[in-house]
Amino acid sequence: MRYKYAIRSAIQGVARHKSRSALTILGIVIGVASIILIQSVGSGAQGLILDQVQGLGSLTVTIMPGRPQSGPADGANSFSDSIKDREVEAIRNTANVPGLTNVTPTLFIPGSTAYGTETYEGTIYGTAPGFASILSLEVAEGDFITDQDVDARASVAVIGHTVREELFGESDALGQRIRIGNRSFRVVGILEEKASALFVEPDKVVIVPYTAAQSYLSGSDYYNMVFGQAVSEDQLDAVQADIERTIRDLHDITDPEKDDFDVGTQKELAAQIGTITDILTYLLSSVAAISLVVGGIGIMNIMLVSVTERTREIGLRKALGARSGDVLSQFLIEAVILTSVGGIIGIIAGAVFSLLAAFALSTFVGLNWSFSFPVTAAVIGIGTSAAVGLIFGLYPASQAAKKSPMEALRYE
Amino acid sequence: MSLIEVKDLRKVYGEEESQTVALGGVTFAIEKGEFVSIMGPSGSGKSTLLQILGFLDKHTGGTYVFEGKSSEQYEDDELAAIRNEKLGFIFQAFNLLPKTTVLENTVLPLMYSDVPEREWEPRGRRAIEAVGLGHRINHETGKLSGGEKQRAAIARALVNDPEVIFADEPTGNLDSRSGQMVMRTIQELNEKHGHTVILITHESATAEHAHRIIRIRDGRIESDEPVRNRRRADEAFDK
Repeated sequence: MRYKYAIRSAIQGVARHKSRSALTILGIVIGVASIILIQSVGSGAQGLILDQVQGLGSLTVTIMPGRPQSGPADGANSFSDSIKDREVEAIRNTANVPGLTNVTPTLFIPGSTAYGTETYEGTIYGTAPGFASILSLEVAEGDFITDQDVDARASVAVIGHTVREELFGESDALGQRIRIGNRSFRVVGILEEKASALFVEPDKVVIVPYTAAQSYLSGSDYYNMVFGQAVSEDQLDAVQADIERTIRDLHDITDPEKDDFDVGTQKELAAQIGTITDILTYLLSSVAAISLVVGGIGIMNIMLVSVTERTREIGLRKALGARSGDVLSQFLIEAVILTSVGGIIGIIAGAVFSLLAAFALSTFVGLNWSFSFPVTAAVIGIGTSAAVGLIFGLYPASQAAKKSPMEALRYE
Repeated sequence: MSLIEVKDLRKVYGEEESQTVALGGVTFAIEKGEFVSIMGPSGSGKSTLLQILGFLDKHTGGTYVFEGKSSEQYEDDELAAIRNEKLGFIFQAFNLLPKTTVLENTVLPLMYSDVPEREWEPRGRRAIEAVGLGHRINHETGKLSGGEKQRAAIARALVNDPEVIFADEPTGNLDSRSGQMVMRTIQELNEKHGHTVILITHESATAEHAHRIIRIRDGRIESDEPVRNRRRADEAFDK
């Protein structure tokens, strides 16, 4: 029964000092708001990246040179030359890997493309016809590169929408000759506009046959990545195992730990990216959680001042019959009310800022960003704020409860 | 059995060498329904005595028996309950909560009692009307005059219908007219409602409203005599 009145006294206590109460809870508001914002933006970013991974198609298999990455990239992988024609031929052989089609060896070459006085800086993709179906690229004008182009090392190029605009403006691009590196290539196709998928921005690509890229641009005989597609989803695991076995045989590797290549699927990639963004989100959230502790200390500080300042009130209450327990619960409840209100305001502020961020990212940056409200984080946020009030309010409240009614009345 | 009995009551502040003796052994008894003034100059120990009698502070020697039970036998929470149910306090500085109404202040002791909530308002209202403050019931205490503030404090002191009302210099912060009104209210509480009143003051004019005056000086009783020509606050007020 008495707790009801302790709650009432606490509400009155908070309401009597409105501006101080507002300042007191600011730390909690900021802490909870940043946790909500980070969680919401984190899950938005994750959704965005996973969308791109899914753009790769669930049947896609990638083979990359270098050790499988278990932690952060160590740089050496990018320069590994373990995937060459020999390996590509071996996995193309249906006797080795029966369920794999569309084997597409690919090189990524940073460089510039020029037409007349206009130049475009970007990545040149040396690849095969299968690249179009794997990334679902559509040709707007002309044709994609063909197997004949690959076999003939033809100096032909397919360019993305943005590249076309940068180099040619309004004039005709098809059939024109552009300069890539030191060699002249004929534009045979222009891609349709398309949103980016798996870190490839189709509007910004310059695609040439991989044979031509090796001979005229990179001067090397290895590939940065080989794409392929499994014939069906149930064959995906078998295909992955077959590729691994084939290349291990070729490289005389008996211990899978010593692999000098990495076979990946969309599912794996999605899981990896999910883990990375989760870790980032938790890391940032724990930084934000520190501000809750700081906010809690602020509350303790102001509550201590408040207890001193309200010594007379405490003494009066005790003189009128309040027990130490009544005073303790009143001040403890005041602290919990303050932090909980702070938590609720923080959740609202965090949701508003996340919504604004989502709006800005999708409207001004043009990302396919979806807003999500992190319900779990909100529940944890309120719970944590209340707990912060309980923990940091305990000391000031016990100081208040300890005061003798006589000392309290004498205090001027 | 007297309501209050003290024997050789002592109060010493501080440790060892820096000790201050506030009460050096006082003995008296107060009967139910009495109106007693405790009078003395500042530093005489009269406030210390009131704090001990009101269970706001603890004595360091002698005995204090309240309603036949020695004060040492009470736990802290029992003392809180006694202060709540049996004692009412009126302070020189009013000690009202700011930014709350007269009614809210008056019902404050009820919050710490077993009185059910539905009785709070009627009881608060009755107490406020008893001190003649009915027209100010929902006013914020900060906006009242000094005399009105003290009467609001009296309403709070009697809302729980206490056995004893302690008044510590109740007129000290008031002009003489407001002081007279407060004294009239206190006299009425004693005579019409039968509350025992213990009044602390340094003015003999105020002290003479009681049946009996205990004079203290330097922590000891100087005299303990009945008042022969008792002052009537209502007469003085009517003049």
